[in-house]
Amino acid sequence: MKSFLRMGAAFLLTLTVLQIGCGDKSTPPATGADPGTGPKSGRKKIAYVTNGVDPFWNTAVAGVRAAEKEFGIDCEVLMPPKGLVDQKRMLESLLARGIDGIAISPVDAKNQVDLLNQAAARCPLITHDSDAPLSKRLCFVGMENYKAGRAAGRLVKEAIPAGGKVMLFVGRLEQLNSQQRRQGVIDELLDRPMQQSDSANFDPTGKVLSGAKYTILDTRTDNFDYARAKANAQDAMASNSDLACMVGLFAYNAPHCLEAAKEAGRLGKIKIVSFDEAAPVLQGIIDGHVYGTISQQPYFYGYHSVRLLHSLTKGDKSVLPPNGFLEVPIVEVRQKNAQTFWADLKKMQDMGK
Amino acid sequence: MKKIFGILGLFLAVFVFTALRNPQFVSAYNLENLIRWISLFGIISIGVSFVIITGGIDLSIGSLIGLTGSLMAWLLTHRGWSVPATLVTVLLLSLSVGLAHGLLITRLRLQPFVVTLCGLLLYRGIARFITDDQSQGFGNSHEGLRAIAIGKIPVGSSFSIPVPFFILLLIAIVSAVVLNRTIWGRYLLALGRNETAARYSGINTDRIKIAAYMLCSLLAGVGGILFSLDLNSVQPSGLGEFYELYAIAAAVLGGCSLRGGEGTILGVIIGTAVMRVLYNAINILSIPTHLEFAIIGAVILAGVVTDELAKRYAANRRAVRERLGETPAPSSS
Amino acid sequence: MVAPLHPVPKLLDVSGVSKRFPGVQALEDVQLTLSRGEVLAVIGENGAGKSTLMKILAGVETPDRGEIRIDGQLVSIADTGTAKKLGIALIHQELNLADNLDVASNIFLGREPHQWGFVDRHRLYSEAHVFLEQVGLNCSPRLLLSELPLGCRQLVEIARALSAQARILIMDEPTSSLSQGETEQLYSVVNDLRNRGVGIVYISHRLREVKQLADRVVVLRDGRNAGMLVQEQIAQDAMVSLMVGRALVRQVRTSQSDGAPLLEVQDLRTTAHPQQGLSFQVRVGEIVGLAGLVGAGRTELLQVLFGIDQAVSGTVRLGGQVLHLQSPGDAIAAGLALVPEDRKLQGVILEMSVGRNATLASLHRDARCGFLNTEQEMTQASMMTQQLRVKTPSIDHLVQYLSGGNQQKVVLAKWLALKPRVLLLDEPTRGIDVGAKQEIYRLMEELASQGIGILFVSSELDEILRMSDRALVMHQGRLAGVLDREQLSEESIMQLATGTPHQMATSVLQELL
Repeated sequence: MKSFLRMGAAFLLTLTVLQIGCGDKSTPPATGADPGTGPKSGRKKIAYVTNGVDPFWNTAVAGVRAAEKEFGIDCEVLMPPKGLVDQKRMLESLLARGIDGIAISPVDAKNQVDLLNQAAARCPLITHDSDAPLSKRLCFVGMENYKAGRAAGRLVKEAIPAGGKVMLFVGRLEQLNSQQRRQGVIDELLDRPMQQSDSANFDPTGKVLSGAKYTILDTRTDNFDYARAKANAQDAMASNSDLACMVGLFAYNAPHCLEAAKEAGRLGKIKIVSFDEAAPVLQGIIDGHVYGTISQQPYFYGYHSVRLLHSLTKGDKSVLPPNGFLEVPIVEVRQKNAQTFWADLKKMQDMGK
Repeated sequence: MKKIFGILGLFLAVFVFTALRNPQFVSAYNLENLIRWISLFGIISIGVSFVIITGGIDLSIGSLIGLTGSLMAWLLTHRGWSVPATLVTVLLLSLSVGLAHGLLITRLRLQPFVVTLCGLLLYRGIARFITDDQSQGFGNSHEGLRAIAIGKIPVGSSFSIPVPFFILLLIAIVSAVVLNRTIWGRYLLALGRNETAARYSGINTDRIKIAAYMLCSLLAGVGGILFSLDLNSVQPSGLGEFYELYAIAAAVLGGCSLRGGEGTILGVIIGTAVMRVLYNAINILSIPTHLEFAIIGAVILAGVVTDELAKRYAANRRAVRERLGETPAPSSS
Repeated sequence: MVAPLHPVPKLLDVSGVSKRFPGVQALEDVQLTLSRGEVLAVIGENGAGKSTLMKILAGVETPDRGEIRIDGQLVSIADTGTAKKLGIALIHQELNLADNLDVASNIFLGREPHQWGFVDRHRLYSEAHVFLEQVGLNCSPRLLLSELPLGCRQLVEIARALSAQARILIMDEPTSSLSQGETEQLYSVVNDLRNRGVGIVYISHRLREVKQLADRVVVLRDGRNAGMLVQEQIAQDAMVSLMVGRALVRQVRTSQSDGAPLLEVQDLRTTAHPQQGLSFQVRVGEIVGLAGLVGAGRTELLQVLFGIDQAVSGTVRLGGQVLHLQSPGDAIAAGLALVPEDRKLQGVILEMSVGRNATLASLHRDARCGFLNTEQEMTQASMMTQQLRVKTPSIDHLVQYLSGGNQQKVVLAKWLALKPRVLLLDEPTRGIDVGAKQEIYRLMEELASQGIGILFVSSELDEILRMSDRALVMHQGRLAGVLDREQLSEESIMQLATGTPHQMATSVLQELL
């Protein structure tokens, strides 16, 4: 009996602690334009769902916040930490609770069609970053990953004009955007003709692909384990002493390639080409340790998604682009424009705060 | 000592096989990397082996690494704390987490599995909450501090030993001495075998168990610090995920019995080495990464099965010998 | 078509059954018969062979020799399944029921009425009802077993036996955990079953209930038939004298005690029996036996004295000092040591070496700043094992490979290294061969002569008689009596241990004298 009481007391204490925790959490400064007061009644409420937790999305969220202020709308940002399952859960609870519009970056577009259509039946639904062309989404805000891949391939060619061995690194290859990026890089390096983004042929993994000048050794995945990402880069250097270039297809890959190269004392000798705009990468470009990066300008993913949804929640469909694709242009960052790009990026991120 | 022969054999087999297939495997650069990863994972595996020797389990290690790793980077860069204050805070936090585990398990008699499973969720959540789920890093600052993770000390002209190896060495020697040369270690082994008999011998088994959980959490905290210094980029939601399983697997491979009472520090380090060498070999031999789990699972299972069969064979032979020779009469009851 | 000349065969006829366990002859040429509608009580001291005999009938053990006939047919009961098919059901001391299932499911566990692979729930409950009525239990068959009181669960077990068409019911101490009311109900069920022709073998320590229920009594002693009593012969004194047998020739200890009190226990109450306060003393150099039946609360008493369980109230003094016993560590520090009842679980660490076991309790004394003093440890281990004559190839040999007697000596070695003032022993010679027993007796005497006070629990009367300077006898948690050396006899102990009223005890004694 005594132990029961003690257990009960412990349980209550835990609850209290959790309550305090939740209280803190419910008023984070980033929830709305004026923190603390909560959403004003009558304002529309939309959601911006990412495909994971990553610094990349923080820049996108800056765009979301900027648009929130500009258009007077509340946008909830949801980052599923565990990919597909968490994303499904978050989307379902959004629908259950009622929401006026959703922008989502589907983790697995092909297999989420039903879920996305369910959402599209209840509120305006758009996709960003990664498209789901088979679903009833109203439009897609993003870039063509295949084209971005080709652009990265061009950076590789500039970095090692004489040719050489190239290794690709990525978090996961199940995602369409990583497959398309990878194919873009490969096709560019092997001087293949342009393919249609949505009907591209993918080369199988685990096979060395050789062209006239460039050899793509492999694509190593790390399942978002940063220690693995670094170990993969190290192992690539260890097993290929003549490795000429490392390409990180996800935002965090190149920073770990950079760390590995630095520790191996091969900074600048091994060229690194990156995607996205992680701070270490931009610093690396300025220092000459990273050749260049392809920025998708995620700020505009966030900004345009909120802008479109704002109009859609009012029933205004005129903002939709004619073919359902709002292309956010990519930016190629090299040493010469890195300073300006970074300054602009910081400005944008500050605007979102 | 006999118990680690099996795992040592597996280690050598994988090592030699990989070296023959790709000589780059034994290049100085690769060996240095390998040693650093073995050191980092070895530290947390030694920690969990103490808990496993008590017959318990700690599933919260990975999350605690995530918490301590991101907390350290956050305190240093976002809060501008000094290095000593940060290290002391993080290590004290780890110790108190272990203390909490120990108290819940011994005083409230909760199952270690449940307590540490809740810890797994709790610490991951706290890490993400404190850092607002933002990646943490040191940028180009704290190079001096980072040297304890990425630094190396040259020996000879072409080879250097990574600093974490010396940390592992220190921890391993201290742990081995504690386990084999102190009464605390003897009590730990005794209570792992038979907690009731240990208690009936006047040993304060609760206190020793609590100490084991504290040691485990402390070493996870040290691991968290080293991982975050090494990676220079810590994702609160991702750092250390599944590392508890790597640590437990390494400890068990190295001869710790999940029933408790058994284990050697050297064995645990070799167990860790097997895991890391396998991961490394998969990359070095250009085996597709999506096959890695299958390969690691299969190799470890094959190793454990061989080891068990060898042990049984030895036990049978001993039994036959004893039956033939003079033996004390079996107890009757 | 000739009418049989011989009488109707007995329901159960056991003849010449023997069974040997390593080191013990559990049964030797035992005879037993049972007729339809008869209640046969089987009684005897602990270890007399009752349980082994019942296990043989239930198919748990197989006899080395002997014949078992049912209705005149020679049978061989190879396993419990065969026993069930033959209509033999064993109602155990510990119930064999699943308390997460309901009553009906328990009754038909493994024999559920079914159709197309599904349980026929209608038949399950209606048939369960019939059997519940037969045992006089009017509760719903849908009730969860865990909601039933203990006594009713016993009835459910009997209902299960009936549903399995049991004709021979073996009841092993069925009333040991029942209240007065529940016991009465069980008696009436037993009488009812007898009237319906079921043969019942009833094992009990409670002689009063044997007298009340049994048609016939078979007494076992040391694994042999000690005698039989029918109807009017069944009386408590007769049963006791058969159980105990003639006094054995034994060496009697010459008392060494000088009378100074060493361990003084006053009004001590254990959680197992909080309503009974225990008060007694152990003097310097005295060996005190603690007798009683299994479950009388003796082990609980020792565990409180050793700090494993906490007392509800009461004081314990050692050499005049009041002890605060919160843990075994406290007790050890005060100078107490316990050789526990379950040697393999509580006494030794089987997978550790002899040496390490022997030094486990004294390590901290010899350690320097927490570091093991390996040299000292080895010396001490070899010294203690030699002194106690532990038969082991080396001190690095694992304890699990030693015989029971040598394991027990290792436990003693562990404590003697600490030079305790009071030694508590719980069934110190259980499962130990005769030779080792003598050595342990010799050791106890030697220690007592050095001034150590010894309190030992034993269920073997012989041991109590041989070793005790005085004996405490416990019955159902209470100190039923203290017997001095000259009052000590099997009869006096049994009377107190079985709860026979005092005047009866004296009369029995007088009759025997």
